Amino acid sequence: MMEIKRNEILSLQALNIGYNSGKHKRALLPPVSATAKKGELVAVLGRNGIGKSTLLRTIVGLQPALGGRIFIDGRESSEYSRLELARKAGYISTEIVRASNMKVCDLVAIGRFPHTGWTGSNDPEGEAAIASAMDKTGMTGFRDRYISELSDGERQRAMIARVLAQETDILIMDEPTAFLDISGRYEMIHLMSGLARGGRTIIFSTHDFNIALNQADKIWLILDNVLIEGSPEDLVLSGAFNSLFDPGIVSFNYSDGTFSLLTEKRGKIFVRGEGLIRDWTIKALARSGYTVSDNYSVPYLITPTEEAGKWVIVLADGSVEFESIYSLAEWLVKNSNLIS
Amino acid sequence: MNNIEIQYKNKRVALIFSILIVLLIVFFILDVFLGSVNLKISEVFQALTGHSGSDVETIVMKFRLPKALTAMFVGIALSLSGLQMQTLFRNPMAGPYVLGVSSGASLGVAIVILGFSAGITTGNLHGLGNWALVFSAWIGAGAVMVLIMLISSRIQDIFVILVIGLMLSGGISAVVSIMQYFSNETMLKSYVIWTMGSLGNLTGSQLNVLMISVTAGIILSLASVKMLNAFLLGENYAMSIGLNIRFSRSLIFACTCILAGSVTAFCGPIGFIGIAVPHIARNIFRTSDHFILVPGSMLCGGIIMMASDLISQMPGTGTMLPVNSITSLIGIPVVIWVILRSGKKSGFA
Repeated sequence: MMEIKRNEILSLQALNIGYNSGKHKRALLPPVSATAKKGELVAVLGRNGIGKSTLLRTIVGLQPALGGRIFIDGRESSEYSRLELARKAGYISTEIVRASNMKVCDLVAIGRFPHTGWTGSNDPEGEAAIASAMDKTGMTGFRDRYISELSDGERQRAMIARVLAQETDILIMDEPTAFLDISGRYEMIHLMSGLARGGRTIIFSTHDFNIALNQADKIWLILDNVLIEGSPEDLVLSGAFNSLFDPGIVSFNYSDGTFSLLTEKRGKIFVRGEGLIRDWTIKALARSGYTVSDNYSVPYLITPTEEAGKWVIVLADGSVEFESIYSLAEWLVKNSNLIS
Repeated sequence: MNNIEIQYKNKRVALIFSILIVLLIVFFILDVFLGSVNLKISEVFQALTGHSGSDVETIVMKFRLPKALTAMFVGIALSLSGLQMQTLFRNPMAGPYVLGVSSGASLGVAIVILGFSAGITTGNLHGLGNWALVFSAWIGAGAVMVLIMLISSRIQDIFVILVIGLMLSGGISAVVSIMQYFSNETMLKSYVIWTMGSLGNLTGSQLNVLMISVTAGIILSLASVKMLNAFLLGENYAMSIGLNIRFSRSLIFACTCILAGSVTAFCGPIGFIGIAVPHIARNIFRTSDHFILVPGSMLCGGIIMMASDLISQMPGTGTMLPVNSITSLIGIPVVIWVILRSGKKSGFA
């Protein structure tokens, strides 16, 4: 048996996930192992249908593992009762709660379920936990709003308040940013990393590589036959992400961790200029299928300076001026024959 | 968030409960006093205390009081079973009548009355044993509940479930019609009278069985408020906060079948109380908390059922309307309102 390190709040050992329908066990992946420490924000990445949700559901006990072991806080999860497990790990998925006349405060109060008696009513300690959960998620002002009237972002914050009221060390979140717009996503990830700094361990699945690469302490990358774990940077440097994408369509930029679509190669061009304008112009060139040449040659492109000027393409027999990057890009696509 | 606000809300809830309790008592008294013959207070009081053997005493003790009690217990039972079904199925259209659970219970009853009792002589219903009748109704109700549960685990659409409930009811009444065709005249008559739905035909021992069963159902309902609240989140979240799904579902399930089955066994199918009252209670109390909704639905159900009974008696006149039509007229507008609202808010329970 592998040794469980003290600070490892969650440890998966040769865990086999999948579905068990009567006699037939259908494993989604070969057995996987992974760990998470207290206070870590762990992003689970992988293509659609690879088993991210199943993995998360298995960790939180919503479906049985086909094999292997899950250790939570040093104890095997199968030894926990359902209620004990609910005091250790909370769960949020993309499933939306619909209940008429349910207020935000009612929803959050249900999070106290594993801590209350048979009536479900809360002692002062429970009320304090509810108030603190609402405060942390910025939902205090929403306590009397009906959940049916909330926006996607507000509803997700209410769901997180509910799981915070549950007072668990581990939060399992299945695509917490799925329904949110860009600003909502960043608010959510800000909230999540704040909670992680506060000592909670958060395991979340996402399709947003940018967020995962920039914010997660650790990534569990699920590939077709293996789970690779490590810091985002380790995984980038080891080339682990390459296999996620079709190299014919998407290219991974190792210097800044972004992805770009590969477009038809049209040519190379030398660019004279500097600063922000040059950088954004190069982005447009890349989209139009041009790479930047390191060596001066004609034809070449001059980008405007900060003060004034236009984009100029200097050809062997004259030059063309452009008012905007938009018109420049349009010309480049049409006249690729003029540029080598 | 501050304490004053919470206190205010608790006061509001307490006030509504007080009003409902007063209304329950008022309608109970009215239900005893008013009818085809309107009674004086002094006469009723005498009848309740003395043993004069007068006509009034007969009317009060043999008819009015049992009927008012029946109405109250029927209202409570149907409303609770409706509330539980709506929460369990997470479907605002769920209710014992609409989803065919009452039909299931009536099939159980039909098998007993038309089938097994065929050999037994008159006094059939009474002689047969009320517990046997109730038990068969529970089994019938349970069978339909299991079917709907199986279907609703595959299809979440509330209207699909509704249509399936209608189909089940239709199928069951077809089976019952066939059974009627093969049964003898006496049995047929007692069955047809039973299907018309009535609060007034219960014998004393039947009323006892009804009250015992419903009281058991009430106790189970009160014991399961926390589970019902967890079910509001849906099964996945309910499980993730520590609910034992299989146990609590079976408990609530059994409770619903006891409540709806017992009523159907003795009073026939009574429509739309089960589906409508929980919505009325939710909107009076403006909450989803079953800690409030369970007693709230009980009170509202008791009041509305006694009021329906009162209206059906047409006080002062000699005529009596079938109570089923009154409950339908009260319930159907509520159901339509819920459908309209759920269309607007996309499946909002």
